[in-house]
Formats: sequence, structure tokens, C-alpha cells
Amino acid sequence: MSGPILEVKGLVAGYGKKRAVHGVDLTLNKGETLLVLGHNGAGKTTLMQSVFGLNPPMAGQVFYEGRDVTARNPALNVADGLAFVPQGHAIFSSLTVRDNLELGAFVETDRARIQKHLDDVFSMFPILKEREKQIAGTFSGGQKQMLAIGMALMHGPRVLILDEPSIGLAPNLVDRVMKSVEEIKRRFDASIIIVEQNVKYSLPVADRVVVLKTGGVIYEGAPEPLMDHQKLIELF
Amino acid sequence: MDLFLQLLVNGFINGSNYALLGIGFGLIFSTTGIVHFAYGSVYTFAAYVAWFLATSFGLALLPSMAGAIVAAVLLGVACYTLLYRPLELRRAPPLIPLIASLGLNIMLENLNAIIFGSGVRSANFASEVYFAGPVFFTSVHIWQVVSCIAVVAALVVFLRKTRYGRAILAMTDDPNMARVVGIDTKKVSYIVFALGSAISAVAATLTLMKDGASTHMGFIAVFMGFVAVIVGGVGSLRGVIAGGFLLGIVESLGLWKISTEWQSSIAFIVLFIMIMLRPQGLFSIARR
Repeated sequence: MSGPILEVKGLVAGYGKKRAVHGVDLTLNKGETLLVLGHNGAGKTTLMQSVFGLNPPMAGQVFYEGRDVTARNPALNVADGLAFVPQGHAIFSSLTVRDNLELGAFVETDRARIQKHLDDVFSMFPILKEREKQIAGTFSGGQKQMLAIGMALMHGPRVLILDEPSIGLAPNLVDRVMKSVEEIKRRFDASIIIVEQNVKYSLPVADRVVVLKTGGVIYEGAPEPLMDHQKLIELF
Repeated sequence: MDLFLQLLVNGFINGSNYALLGIGFGLIFSTTGIVHFAYGSVYTFAAYVAWFLATSFGLALLPSMAGAIVAAVLLGVACYTLLYRPLELRRAPPLIPLIASLGLNIMLENLNAIIFGSGVRSANFASEVYFAGPVFFTSVHIWQVVSCIAVVAALVVFLRKTRYGRAILAMTDDPNMARVVGIDTKKVSYIVFALGSAISAVAATLTLMKDGASTHMGFIAVFMGFVAVIVGGVGSLRGVIAGGFLLGIVESLGLWKISTEWQSSIAFIVLFIMIMLRPQGLFSIARR
């Protein structure tokens, strides 16, 4: 692992006048898997939406590959290699699986690269290849999640943000999704942020952990100490 | 029986016009979520511009239509730039753009009257009458049906085969997800306002050819387009086409038994029945 690829400094964010994130600092290093843990209402999703540009922050800065990208149009962030998978099966339900994947590569104009990424996605999630002509809205929850991740990989991201990928999935599917994280890092050379509540399945894949509580960071460090059940209870 | 056949053909021809209006209005509505009632005034403006070009410069149908398309695109894009876009940036609740669009429609309707006058304006485009057994139709009617087919074919190719066509489909499905995959939703909004306005100009020029242009023609046009969208299903191209033709045919066949003065009420009846029996429309798209 080398230096930071994404840095968040003193970020304040919320909706309307209500603040949900209070001056959070965060660093994602190149090649790292950073796990952001926290209960409902901890500010995890608000933080990631602000980092990605969907919800401009009230204060603070976001740096991506050393450049200030605070409150930037998400389209530009995607074009520069950021990818975000929102929670809750983020797909285009009325379109086919193939259409969804091609839209995931909307910012990519090099057909050869699109084909390579498509091959990688099909190799990771063969079900998507088998059902590429199926309307995505008819997929099961787990299949939708695989498609959502596949879409985010279609433009070859350097940073991938997964917002609660385990939500609503059966344990075996959560395990499958978490195991795909290592493969994504290997195939796409991406740095990954996983936002989760599911400690059991997400902790083993993390290189470093940040725990959020009521919009602030209460723990930052290695995942090992959190494997101690008592320590986790103290934090939460 | 002859009357029935004639009404059926008339309904089919009117339906092609309603389908065109529904496609243009629905393209803007389903993609941006904006109920663009000022679409009616853009349509009226386009008809007047076509009339002006035909009567002042002696232009034929197609050049007049081309001029009307340019004018409608400019006015439609101006509506988005000057009114709806600022409201989007202020994150105005949905009711605000709706009220703003009604206000804009009234304002533009009055402007049309000031610029072009309030009387009916007619252009003398060449028109032939044809007979097929007991049924008659004119070259204007043929133009209406052919234009509808041409617009639908071009739109299908654009939506399925081009990058920004697929971006429109994506934004229609889920605008937030469209942003997530890197689609510039502002650019897509401009494109649909331009396309929708261009389609209104095609319908407007043909209406000018058939009935002339008048200040209030836009109200009934936008209403018919709106009904075609609701009946067909928001976001569904085949739905709005079906909705337009259904509306045209039901409205025309209604005249078989009902007095012409009640003709405009038939669209309301179709709308009410549809809202009660199938509120999602004939062909609703699956959404999250």
C-alpha cells in the first residue's frame, strides 16, 4: 500500500439545515480496503454521498488523487475513476442486465476497455452473463446487488465506494459479495471503501476500520481489536 | 357502417397527432419529472412561426416546419434554462415547477397573441383529397400519420442506439442512479427539452395545415398529450403511442352517438376511467 488516494478533511454534511456528519476526517490509501462501520443514523451514507458529490458538503474538503473535488459534479468524479454503489440494489429496473452494464460504462468511450471490463464482470458474476437479456427489475436481491457492483466496475474505477452491500441479503450472499471485494482489488487495482453495519462479514475483508457514531469518528485503526466482541460493544 | 369507418379513420388520424403530442410532452415529463404545461404555448408558437414563414416568405411545408422546429427548440430550451433549471437548483418541491409552468403558459399564450394577433391564421399549403371506398382523407392526414411514424422510428433509433438516447432511458428509470453512473443529468434535460419541443413543432405545423393556428390551440394540445401519457403509462413510448391512438379513436367514435359539442369531454372521460381502473397506465415501466 502507498499514499492516500482519497482524503476527506473536516467534512460537515446533512440535508437542508439538519447536520448528519460533523467534521469528519478520513483517508483511503492506494490499494486499501477501508471499512466504515456505524449504526443507522451514524452519518455513513450522508458522508459517502458528500464525498461522491451527490450531496454537496456544508463545510470541509474532499481530495481525490491530490486534487480538490469538493462538491464536484458526480459525472466528473465518475469520469476520473470514482465509483459509488448506493445501498438498496442500485440498478435501472426497467432495463436489461446488458443495458445496465453498458450504462455503468457511460463515461468510458474506449470500446476495447468496455469489453475488457465486461469480460471481467461476467467472469466475477457469471449469472449476469447467463441473464444479460433479462429485465433487471426481475432479479432477486442478491442478483441485483451483483449487478449494481458490476455496473460500478464497468468504467474501471480506481476508488470504489460500496454503501451497505449486505443490506437485505441472505448470509450466503453477503459472504459472496464480501469475497468479491478481494477479486475486485486484484482485477481492477481499485481501492475500496465499504460502508457497513454487518460487522461479522465485513471485518475480515478490511485493512483498516473507521467507526462513526452520531456523525463523528469514534475509532480509526486496525480491524483486529474490533474482533474482540467486548471492544465492539464498548464502541457501539 | 360508412359513417363508422369514416369516424374510425378520422380517429386514427387524430390519434397520430395526439400520439406525437404525447411523445413530446411525455419525453420531457418522464425524464425530468417536470409537468411542462407551457409545452402548449411552445406548440402554438411553432404553429405561428410556420404560418409566418409560409405566408411572408412563401415557403413550402417542409421548410416552414424546419423553421418552426428551430423556433420551438429555442423557446423550449429557454423555458428550461430560465425557469425550471433555477427551480431545480433551489431544490423546489414538485408543486412549485407545476404552478410555474401554468403561469409560464399563460404568459407565453399572451405573448403569442401580442406578436401574432388573436385571430385564426391559415397557411395555404397544397392539399389533395383522396377516396378509399366510402372513406375520404386528405394529404394533410397522410402527412400526420407519416410524421408520427417517422418521429417514432427516429426516436426509437436515437434512444436505443446512441449514448445520450440511453442516458434518457436511464434518467427516466431513476434520475439519481443516472447521476451515479456519471450521466450529466443537466445536459440530458436540455436534450429532452429540445427534442420534445421539436416534436411539438412537427405536430403544430400539421395542425396549422389542417385547422390553422390560433392563440388557444396549445391548451387542448397539451391536455391531449397529457392524457395520452397518463393513459399509456409514464415513461413508456409504446404506451404513449397506444394512449394517443386510443384517445383519438374513442373521441372520434364517440361522435357516432354523442353531439360534437361534447367531443372534448370524451378525453376527460377516458382519463377518469383510466385513472380509476389502471392508474399506472396501459404500459407502465418497472421502477425501483
